[in-house]
Order: sequence, then structure tokens, then C-alpha cells
Amino acid sequence: MSLRQILVALFALAALVASAIASIAFGAVHVPIGDVIDALTGQARDGPLKQIILDLRLPRMVEALLVGAALGVAGTLLQGALANPLASPDVMGVTGGASFGAILILIVFPSQIALLPVGALAVGMIAAGLVFVIGATGVGGGSAARLILAGIAMTAAFQAGTTSLMASFPDRVPGAIFWLAGGLTTAGWENIKVTWPYLAIGFVLAALLARPLDRLALGDDVAASLGSRPRAVRLTAAIAAAMLAACAAAIAGLVTFLGLFIPHVVRMAAGTSSNTYIVPVSALAGAALMLVGDTLARTVAAPIELPVGPLMVLLGVPVFLYLLRRQT
Amino acid sequence: MSPLPGRAEPVFDSSAPLLEARDVTVSLGGRQILHGADITVEVGSLVAIVGPNGAGKSTFARTVSGLLRPEGGSVRWSGVELGELRGRTLAQLRAFVPQRARVPEGVSVREAVRIGRSPHVKPLGRLLRADHDAVDRAMERAGVAQFADRALTTLSGGELQRVQIAVGLAQEAPVLMADEPTSHLDLGATATLAKLLRGLTADGLAVVLVVHDLSLAAAVADTVVVIAGGRSVAIGPPSEVLVRERLHEVWHVDAALEQRPDGHTALHVAWLGRTEPDSGFHLDRDSPHPPQFPTSEAETSDERTSPR
Repeated sequence: MSLRQILVALFALAALVASAIASIAFGAVHVPIGDVIDALTGQARDGPLKQIILDLRLPRMVEALLVGAALGVAGTLLQGALANPLASPDVMGVTGGASFGAILILIVFPSQIALLPVGALAVGMIAAGLVFVIGATGVGGGSAARLILAGIAMTAAFQAGTTSLMASFPDRVPGAIFWLAGGLTTAGWENIKVTWPYLAIGFVLAALLARPLDRLALGDDVAASLGSRPRAVRLTAAIAAAMLAACAAAIAGLVTFLGLFIPHVVRMAAGTSSNTYIVPVSALAGAALMLVGDTLARTVAAPIELPVGPLMVLLGVPVFLYLLRRQT
Repeated sequence: MSPLPGRAEPVFDSSAPLLEARDVTVSLGGRQILHGADITVEVGSLVAIVGPNGAGKSTFARTVSGLLRPEGGSVRWSGVELGELRGRTLAQLRAFVPQRARVPEGVSVREAVRIGRSPHVKPLGRLLRADHDAVDRAMERAGVAQFADRALTTLSGGELQRVQIAVGLAQEAPVLMADEPTSHLDLGATATLAKLLRGLTADGLAVVLVVHDLSLAAAVADTVVVIAGGRSVAIGPPSEVLVRERLHEVWHVDAALEQRPDGHTALHVAWLGRTEPDSGFHLDRDSPHPPQFPTSEAETSDERTSPR
């Protein structure tokens, strides 16, 4: 590993630690740092401050961390598996499906709001499943172009469904706007309880897939020469990415820009495309950016919360465009 | 990949040929491409697979390498059936160098060759000292070490092809299969690659080459396998196999191979068809000097030569 790569990884790690601390320490209510440490180490007396730290800020910090890492990894997996720099969780139909699932709950069954993460996760994975069935089976199935086109078509179909729902119940649309904009909620550990098994499977698969994806970068024939099964690698990576992205959407709504953006920033900053490096560092960088975005969203205009999605896009786009211009 | 419970490790027979395929049949998309092709590859030999376009040469090479599934026949690597060999085991028996590999952005020569070493690295494991040494050896042998840190996207066609060979060499498999490695290269780069591949057999590797250029095949190969219409129609030394009758039968041209004792080879081809010697003299209306036709096959010739 080159010095540059080590520095980029260390920077991402430091940013993650600093932003995690900031995420716990800062919020609408001022909590002295001593009380924060006491609460985390289990020495605080019961009271509202302890509750704020352990029941509100800690789960929200963990959510931001998981969502950011999940999207960073999902984008890396898809860009590697589909050999396409434009790939992001959107292209697998996940985002379109998850939006439809969430909007369905928010608009048609608003009394069942607790089912929101379940609905987003389930429909997101169903959409990805349909994309796989159409794009990966039959003669010539499993090619990157076919998966991407199937994903675009499926996304369009679910987006049409979402738009139709919103047009049919215009009075209930305001409640759905925050979800569509993307942002974390203070729902305690509920979202994580629903999503953690899929997140765990997704992260484990990602770790196992990093090297097979590097082989795939040299083409299917070279990957096969090296003992991989290119089709199986591509599909497993897409499934893992779909799971991670669906979980991220279930927890935080539409913040999927992160999935496109983070792997590119890491590649450009570190000057390598090796997935054994990009997968873990994208997880760190994604988590850090999500934590920074969420902390800013909660504190900049406190007690009003800004939506995280647009805030992060505003933060991210200039960095992305700068690196893009500088790239040789 | 560690063996799954219940699956025995394959037992290799060191007295068997490195690769022995008999009567291989393959269908792609419902159409039978190969109807019965044979090949035998021994240690330290160079085998050239030749044949017309669409005859099934590449399909044959890909099938015996395990990239395509055979429909029938037998493919054995050191005595073990191809079907019993899994990923990493197979990757340590043969390296397959494709005709045109992807050239990913942001990947250096060294990184690519390291990927070639991955069958020797455990999943989630790191490259050890011995692996880095193997990567250096592969780059040195293929003559790409001097530009190890350049990006693949900046290389010429010849350099890129040698990097592909280096990726295969890093596998340290006893057999290197290369699918038309010279088809996009100029004369000089072709000669460099021919010397490299022939040199590998001197190192003890076996090389299988899918190749169009018959004069090149004759110069470098110990054995030539002629594939025509999905079958291996002839197997043997170039001088015995690439005879005039067969060139006519398989490629439908009037051509003759010349092999000089100093290693020069040439394919003399009647590109525009055979000139009948008894058809009288030929008048070239554009030339003040009527051309001479000393022999029927020497009107034009492909004078590509390759030292052995």
C-alpha cells in the first residue's frame, strides 16, 4: 500500500471517529461532555440527559454510521460488478422499489407508520429481485448491460407507482416529503432491529467479494482463468449491494447519492481502484460523511432539523466536481 | 477454496499428460460448435491450435480451460477430470490469457499482475513475501517490469499483451493457454511475443497457442492441432500437418509452407487463386515488361518470419 493510500485511509478513519464523537456530543439540547461520557460508560444517574444520550443520540449515531457505510459499500460493489462508473444502488431498482414501499405506507396506510422500514426494505428487495430474474436468467443473462437496463426499467415502473400514489392522495404528500428528501429519525433502535440481519449479510458478502471483484476488473475471461465464476460473482455482488441499499433506504430514506459518490471520491483521492482497499475505505468514508451530514442537519438550525439528503448532496457535489476536474 | 466436506481432494497422476482432451463436444445457444476435438499437451511443449475463422479454435481452448462447459467427451488435467476441478485448484493448473482482456481504468501493471497471483492467496488473506516475489518474477519474465507502475490504459498493444501474459505467469500454472495473443500486434511485437512464449517452454512450462498465422505456428510449435468444422482434423508436427493438400482442404487456398533450417518460416500463398501453367503467357496491360511467373504459387507471398 502506498503512503497516499495509507494517509487517505487514516484520514477517513479519523473523520469517522471525530464525527461519531460530534454526533453524540452535539444536538438541540446541550449535554455537558462529562455527562455524555458518564452515560456511555454506564455511570450516569437516570434522568433526561442520560435518556437523550442513550435512547436518542446513540441509536441515531449508529444509524448514520450503518447507512453511510452501507451506501459506500453498495456503490463500490455495483460499480465493480457492473464494470460501470455510473452504477449506484439506483440502477438495481432498489431505490425506486424502496421509495414505493415507503410511500405506500406513508400515504395509503399512515396509521401503520411503524411498518415504514419493513415496507421500504421489502419492496426495495422485491424490485432488485425482479431485476435479477429479468436481467440474469436466460440466454446471455447476467451481463452488465442487461442488468442495468432491467434496473432502469424497474426503477421507472416503481417511480410511476410512487408518483401515482402521491397524485392520488395530494393532501398526504407533505408527510412523505421528509422521507423522500432523506434523513434519519429519532426512532430509537427500531429501524436497526428490522434491518440488521440484512446489513450483516451485506457487509460479510462485501468483504468476501472484494478480491473476486478485482479479478472481474480484468474481464470475465481473466476472472475465470483465476478460478472465479464471473456470473456468480457479479450476481452475488449485486444482491449484497441491493440488500445494503434497501436497508439504507429503510433507515434513512433517499440518500443514495452517497452510493455513487463515495467510491469515486475514495478512488480519486487514493489513486487506486483495488477493491480490497476501496471497499473498506468507502465504508469508513461513507459512515463519516453521513455522520457529519446528520450532525450538521441537527445542529445548524436547531431546533429545526434540516433534511440530510439535500444537505449531503450540497456538501458532496463540490468535492466530487473538484476531484473530477483534477483527475488525469 | 477449501474442499467442501465430503468432497475428496483430486489426486493428480504425474505420469499423465498435463492436458488430455478426447472427443470434446460443445454447444452454444443450442448450436453445436465442436463435434469432436482432441488435444494432448505434455510438459515443456508448445501446441498451436490453428484453423479457419469460426472453426471452433477459441471455443475448444476455452472449453478445455474450463471457461465453457463441455457437452461430451473427456478433458483431463494431469489425469483428473475437468468437472472435478474447482476454482483455485484449476487456476493453479492452467492460466488462460484471453484474446482481448478488459483494460480497467486506474489499475497499474503491478496491481494487475498481483490480481493474477490471487489464486495462491486465501480469501481475505494478504499477499505474502513469496507472492510478491512471484509477481516480480512474472513481470521480469514477460518484460514488463520496467513499466510496472504505469497505468494499463497508457500501454501499447504489445505491452498490454505482455502484461496479460505476466498476469497468467503469476498464477504459476504449468500450462499457459493464450487465445490469439498476436492477432492485433505489429511484426516486431509479434516476434517479441513469439520469443517470449517459446522461451517459456524452455523454462519448463507448456504453452497452448490459438493462432491464425500459420508461418508463426510453424516457427514456434512442436505440435499443431488443426481444427476445421468443429473437429480436430490433424495433429502432429507442423511440417507433417501443414502440408499443401491440407491447406487447400481446410482453408481452400493454394498455399505452401516453407521451413528453412535456420528457423525462418514463410507461407507462400496464391492470394488471387492459382495460375494455370498451361494457360499461355499473361499480358499485364499496365506494365511495359510482361511479368514472369516462374512457379504457380509464388505470385505473392506472406514473408512473415519468426526465429525459433
